[in-house]
Amino acid sequence: MSEIRLGAKVPDFELETYEPTKGDFGTFSLKDQIQKKRWTILFFYPADFTFV
Amino acid sequence: MGCDIVTVSTDTKFVHKAWQESEKELAKVKYPMGADRSGKVSRMFGVFDEDSGLDLRGTFIINPQGVLMNAEVNFYNLGRNIDEMMRKFKANMYLAKKTNEACPSKWKDEGDQTLTPSAKMVGKVHEALQGK
Repeated sequence: MSEIRLGAKVPDFELETYEPTKGDFGTFSLKDQIQKKRWTILFFYPADFTFV
Repeated sequence: MGCDIVTVSTDTKFVHKAWQESEKELAKVKYPMGADRSGKVSRMFGVFDEDSGLDLRGTFIINPQGVLMNAEVNFYNLGRNIDEMMRKFKANMYLAKKTNEACPSKWKDEGDQTLTPSAKMVGKVHEALQGK
């Protein structure tokens, strides 16, 4: 997989998700975001059940 | 134009669910919690720590065309400033409309002073920031 850089297109990716508002699982896909013309903020953090 | 925030760690979606439901601090969390168990997406963004298998505190802003506009990575032991993250996000939204302008460091919100780089401004950034 290519390295990403500022100003360049991010390769498409998907993530399985847990959606607290629905209490259900879902999927995030960059392709969907582009289709829906929405901005995305990705917020990485070390781990659940730790002192974030 | 809308924005979606997705939080991501290398936990599974099942652990996300258990944590969100049990930790009172997270009762108000409404953002989808992404599960990157393999670290594939985390590696792509350069935030995967191979030694621990955990993600560093990385924040990435992607525009509606799928282009990466902002990247910030903090080590484990340094928290992020949410105000600064929102400032960067607002600036990116603004600059997507005003493509010939630039937001200086003190820019906070629409209406604040911006710079419009030109030949006249060379060597005169101080004066431009003073509004002269």
